[in-house]
Amino acid sequence: MRDLLLGLTQIKKVHWNAFLLLLLSYSAMAQTTISGVVSDPKGTTLPGVNVTIKGTKNGVVTDINGKYQIVVPPKSVLVYSFIGYTTQEIAISNKTEINVTLSDQSSKLDEVVIIGYGTQLKKDLNGSVSSIKAKDIENLRQVSVDQMLQGKVAGVSVTNGSGQPGAAASVRVRGVTSINGTNEPLYIIDGVPVSGDATGIATSGRPIAGNDFSSNGNSGNNATSPLSMINPADILTIDVLKDASATAIYGSRGANGVIIITTKSGNKGGGKIHYEGSTSISNIYKKLDVLNLQQYAVHQNALAGIFGITPRPEFSQPQLLGPGTNWQDEIYQTAIINSHQLSFAGSKDNTNYYMSLGFLDQQGNIIGTEYKRYTTRVNLDTKVKDWLKVGVNVNGGVSNEKFTINQSYGGLITNTLLQAPDMPVRNLDGSFASPPSGQNVNYFNPVAEALTKDNSLIRKNFLGNVFAEASIIKGLKYRVELAANTEFSENTDFTPAFDRGSQFNLTADLIERRQNWYSTNLKNLLTYDFNIKKHKFTLLAGQEALDSHWEGIIATASGFQTNDIYTLNLSDVNTRTVTGYKGSQSLASLFGRMIYDFDNRYGLSASIRQDVSSKFDPASENQKGYFPAVAFSWKLSNESFMSDVKKYIDNVKFRIGYGETGNQQIPNNRYSALLGQQNSGLGAGFLPSNFPNPDLTWESMQQTDLGLDFTLFDARLSVNLDYYIKKSKGFLYQIPWPDYLTGGPSQYGGIDAPYSNIGEVQNTGYDVTVNYATKSEGSFSWNSSLVVSHYKNEVLSLVDGLPLTTQVNTNGFQPVVVTNTLVGQPIGMFYGYVTDGLFNDLATLNSAPIQFGQSVGTAPGQTYLGDVRYVDINGDGIIDPKDKTIIGNPHPDFTFGFTNNFKYKNFDLSIFLQGSVGNDIMNLTRRNGISNSLLFQNQLTDALNFWTPTNTNTDIPRPIGSTSNYNLEISDRYVEDGSYVRIQNVTLGYTLPQKLISRFKIKNIKVFGSAQNLFTFTKYSGYDPEIGSFNQNVLLSGIDNGRYPSPRIYSLGLNLEF
Amino acid sequence: MKTQQFFTNLKMFCVVILLGSLYSCSEDFTNRPPEDAISLDSYYSSNAQVESATNGMYSRTWFQFHNKFFFAIAEVGSGNMYTNSGDVNAMRNFSITGSDPELNVGWQSLWANIAQANAIINFLEDRVGPNVSPEVLQNTIGEAYFMRATAYFYLVRLWGAVPIIENNLDYASSPLINTNRVEDVYELIRRDYIQASQRLYEKVRGSNYTVNGRVSKGSAKAMLAKVYLYLKDYNNARILAEEVINSGEFKLYGGPTLPGKSFGDLFKFPNNNNEESIFALQWKGDGNYGSASNCNTQFGISNGTISTSNASYGGVFAPSQDIMNLYSTNDLRRRETIMFPGTSYPEIRAKNGSGFGPLVVPPADQIGGQGAGSAIKKYCIGIENGTETGPVDPWAMMNNNTYIMRYAELLLIHAEAILAGGGTSSSAVGLASLNAVRNRAGLSSLSTYTFEDVFTERRKELAFEGDYWFDLGRIPRAQAIAIMSAQNRGDRFNAQFFTPTDSDFILPYPTNEVAKNPKLLDPPVPYVFN
Repeated sequence: MRDLLLGLTQIKKVHWNAFLLLLLSYSAMAQTTISGVVSDPKGTTLPGVNVTIKGTKNGVVTDINGKYQIVVPPKSVLVYSFIGYTTQEIAISNKTEINVTLSDQSSKLDEVVIIGYGTQLKKDLNGSVSSIKAKDIENLRQVSVDQMLQGKVAGVSVTNGSGQPGAAASVRVRGVTSINGTNEPLYIIDGVPVSGDATGIATSGRPIAGNDFSSNGNSGNNATSPLSMINPADILTIDVLKDASATAIYGSRGANGVIIITTKSGNKGGGKIHYEGSTSISNIYKKLDVLNLQQYAVHQNALAGIFGITPRPEFSQPQLLGPGTNWQDEIYQTAIINSHQLSFAGSKDNTNYYMSLGFLDQQGNIIGTEYKRYTTRVNLDTKVKDWLKVGVNVNGGVSNEKFTINQSYGGLITNTLLQAPDMPVRNLDGSFASPPSGQNVNYFNPVAEALTKDNSLIRKNFLGNVFAEASIIKGLKYRVELAANTEFSENTDFTPAFDRGSQFNLTADLIERRQNWYSTNLKNLLTYDFNIKKHKFTLLAGQEALDSHWEGIIATASGFQTNDIYTLNLSDVNTRTVTGYKGSQSLASLFGRMIYDFDNRYGLSASIRQDVSSKFDPASENQKGYFPAVAFSWKLSNESFMSDVKKYIDNVKFRIGYGETGNQQIPNNRYSALLGQQNSGLGAGFLPSNFPNPDLTWESMQQTDLGLDFTLFDARLSVNLDYYIKKSKGFLYQIPWPDYLTGGPSQYGGIDAPYSNIGEVQNTGYDVTVNYATKSEGSFSWNSSLVVSHYKNEVLSLVDGLPLTTQVNTNGFQPVVVTNTLVGQPIGMFYGYVTDGLFNDLATLNSAPIQFGQSVGTAPGQTYLGDVRYVDINGDGIIDPKDKTIIGNPHPDFTFGFTNNFKYKNFDLSIFLQGSVGNDIMNLTRRNGISNSLLFQNQLTDALNFWTPTNTNTDIPRPIGSTSNYNLEISDRYVEDGSYVRIQNVTLGYTLPQKLISRFKIKNIKVFGSAQNLFTFTKYSGYDPEIGSFNQNVLLSGIDNGRYPSPRIYSLGLNLEF
Repeated sequence: MKTQQFFTNLKMFCVVILLGSLYSCSEDFTNRPPEDAISLDSYYSSNAQVESATNGMYSRTWFQFHNKFFFAIAEVGSGNMYTNSGDVNAMRNFSITGSDPELNVGWQSLWANIAQANAIINFLEDRVGPNVSPEVLQNTIGEAYFMRATAYFYLVRLWGAVPIIENNLDYASSPLINTNRVEDVYELIRRDYIQASQRLYEKVRGSNYTVNGRVSKGSAKAMLAKVYLYLKDYNNARILAEEVINSGEFKLYGGPTLPGKSFGDLFKFPNNNNEESIFALQWKGDGNYGSASNCNTQFGISNGTISTSNASYGGVFAPSQDIMNLYSTNDLRRRETIMFPGTSYPEIRAKNGSGFGPLVVPPADQIGGQGAGSAIKKYCIGIENGTETGPVDPWAMMNNNTYIMRYAELLLIHAEAILAGGGTSSSAVGLASLNAVRNRAGLSSLSTYTFEDVFTERRKELAFEGDYWFDLGRIPRAQAIAIMSAQNRGDRFNAQFFTPTDSDFILPYPTNEVAKNPKLLDPPVPYVFN
């Protein structure tokens, strides 16, 4: 009996489909057969699309080629639905063939947005969140994802710190909130937190390549991007949480905004193989005008005369000389970039998979520089039980780069510009040349530097998480997630032994740095979704623990017998030194959130988080911080009285939010005093290295956001407006005590000033996003997106009104103050003297305020005609440091990005413009280039136009043979308008017709050509107006001190899908 | 149904356990003491630890002061040295500004000494463990007083009025303070050296140089004798000088008690901390920038063919045209102070083309980029040469000590104190001190002497050791200006003469410091001593 029953059930199961078919075929006799192909906007056919008859459960699924056939009753309406695409309904009318293009959901308001520890429909958002989809950034050929955000999100400004591949960008979400801590946002990559801070202020604080991040060390701008190990091609969506009501759930790490990156996963509908490859060439599109050999000889003769030095006999007939060495031509190269990306994605039996391999090989535009990256990713999730889903996301990245020093007086670009043209690259015997003996020049042969020094960095990064998500009862989910991130890096810095005559290195020198860090992050989340009539609730309770460790070993050695093989064991044993560092930090958190919606009209979010941070004194209550947030929204257009105007204006939503976040990113143990090892001939000893501050606690940031969203013209045009006020209180800052209290930095035996919670900084601003899209019907479609960001930054208070002056090292190893941060002003303003031309007549000079206590005359230490006329700002009748004032503003009035995508039949064209308006640049490269203060170094051609009694109509002062002469004081002479508009990207693509390729089992082929950084409209005289911040330091923004210029890149590529 | 319920309960149970267990351990979880540094409060438990507390104050804290600033001011400014290198030549023509980077770091360095000394003076006693003997503790505190006094002695002579800071934490909440009067700074220096002389060990410098490194009671008294000369308190200067002389702690290298040695031997690396050394900076290259002495590179010869340094630049400082005529040819110090063309120095290893060998000084037109026609010998020990020179660090810096004071100077202080500001003296003890220095240099004894004699002897004996600028600063100003304006401060091709003004004898405060604290420019205020 039992067997019979079992058999019957089996029969039922087996024949059910047949029975259904029978049923269908029976009805077909009186009905119509419709067939067609379903594809996406790119023309790729979509398998697995559900095609159902409206009002019934009857339907079919498209086959591997996107084809379907269905039998329907007359006057039916067919519903085409597929995950990730907008469902479409089409009435069959009298058609027998219906080909459908499904548009993806990205432009729609019902798309899902990732918020902290959960998701929400875009239309239901109460806070300010911007989303970017893969297709919005797919044309941008950038190494790392942070660079791709440039001009794409309102309220986010991105500047590349260097044109060097893999270098860190500075990303600022809604202005600048912290002075000492990092201003970089927190990135959450598939649940793995990654700090955007490339300088690791809160961890080791050490670069993985080079000695330090200081502006007066000579490591230069050496911060590497923490995100460059993520292959941008793997990214599906980027959600930027901007206002505090959205970021407060990240508590202490949310102050600078949170950027959530979700990588691709497999979709329903069979496996897909996707390949993309491109080849690019890049070059430096602008060179600076420096003196050629003839001009140089004339110039040297003139300076020698003025400095009272015998002119060089070989320059007695400048017109007989050739053009000399063009160092810029020697050092810059046209570089080749190759990129390949292969991925496999699909879904089977409740299992989604995505696997990818990526390879990037990018030559730098400076000879000898190169960047190679290998990435791989596996994303897998599966339903083990109907109540249990588990998954894993793993990313591996290895990069191998050879880089150069930039933004430093010892950097290659400075060396290139200032190296004299009378020196050849190589001697007749092929060896590298050096300056003639007796000149005592500090500039090395830049070509030799680039080609013989080995400065390489290998990074191996592994990042990933595993998670399990259980449905406990309906609506209640428990998720546990363990994430880990680790990186091993090896930096080899080798200077070979060489003897180029006047310049030599007797003992080949090696510095090896081996560093590693890891962090683990454990999360437990409970989410409960439920409705009570029109009341909809989503509740979240969670716990998170973050634990980070870092350590490193730095070994130096010299005295190698050969330049070819240089490992530590081959060095002179007496020269080996080694040092190391180690540390850890932790953060323990509890948080909860409620999202409430009433009748799809009123929305409310409220959250609170408690963080306990190891940065503060464990013996005190200072470790704990509480970060609440609340936000409210009103969907005006869902009110019944709005139904009449819906066809004109729709989706109107008002948002208001308030939240508090914190910042704790400071070095460890600043609450206690530490002893640093300081050695002498007497042996090792220990000296206090910092003044402690046990009262140190959280920096808190409060933000209020007002938002308005609406759409016009049947949702073709959508507008998002946000206004915010963001106030940082008690920000963490190392008090700039005068040196008479600290004795300078602890590196040289001083005692570092304490960190303290001082001052207030406020940012107010607005973010505007305007989108326009044609409905994707017909052969032509177009969409445009304009984002505009504006912020106004102001320091509201500082303890004791301490000015925060910051120095950089200019050429000639001399640090100078370039910025100051004053109450009532924005952070990091250019600071120096105001000038009023040059002194041209003695009457003016004699009646002018006394310049720096100098008498009038031509002797050294005196002021004379042709000197810069500084303005007596405080009116006390003398020019002295009290006359220094604000001379420029690195903050833009606004930044914008303008994206345009056009599609006509199989062609698509995208044009992306991006720019910054109203910011100033301090051009220290020019200061060096027109200083006329040293012999034997090259200058910009402008330097020739220096003041003489017969050449008075000039702004270049008379030459004085000292690099500390007053004409070189930092002044408005070096401040330039840094506004620019850049055609950042133009891409033209062509998708091959389906008819042509379908017979080769290929779903889609697209070829494209693109130009990156095509043209820049600017008045800036330097290489590139996009300067960024020196090692992400906000106090050193917009300062051009020999920056590695961003190249122009032309690419050709191919996109294949099987 | 039952099973499902069970699993649900089990799941809930797990969640609660996980949440609870993770959070409850957070107290330890968020306590992260340093893992690569020593916490101040847990140190200083043994004599050895307390003794090592001042080790760094014999080198690191002085590095930035000594690296370039010291010579750029005291030697270039005084007209002993010539340079045309933009970073260090401002004092050649008295055009230094408050923005001068060397001025900045020199200032920092002296204050680093004061900050570190204050940390020991004010807090060490409370922090030491019970196993530390009082003598060790007091000696270490004495060293701190010695360093503070020495740093202030430089500050007051370079900048005049500066803030007196006896405990940095007193100004933690009010860092913007006034400068104090010069006489108050000298009073602090005097008190500190007395404190030091009371606490430091009594020592006799012997042939075991490794134990000679630290300053002693005699060092403090010797420095204080010098301070008294500046205060024109000749009586106290003489008393202290004689106390030191009679103690027999120090000996003249190459003098009657150490006949096997010579003036030149004073500056060799193996003779660090010899019997003549009263206080010397003790360099030790440790792989970090800023731990050793750059004198070998900065002085010496580097002309593209011949080099006395492991670095490819060098000879940044050169003798001035003025000092080249200072020494008579029979003065043994001439060869050991200045390298004249043609002289050979078998003890110095040099790079010559692509080979190496003993140094033979090239012709005047081939000595380095300064165009001085000669080079500095003192503190130049040549290219790395085993134990003769000790190691070089990655910046080509070396471990040869720098004298702040040596016994020969004390003898000259003694001779000067006996003159007591008067015209001529024939005091036997005064002559004994002065002639001891002269005789070692191969010069004949004098039978009477004047201030002029001592003053000139000081310049010859201490040239390039960073003293002449301060000597010029303590004689009548008009006299100093007359001396300096007569110096040829150019190179061998172009004679150049510059006349300093009164204000050129005091350096401007660093511009950055004035920006942080404009009160530095206000008139100095009296300091109230406790």
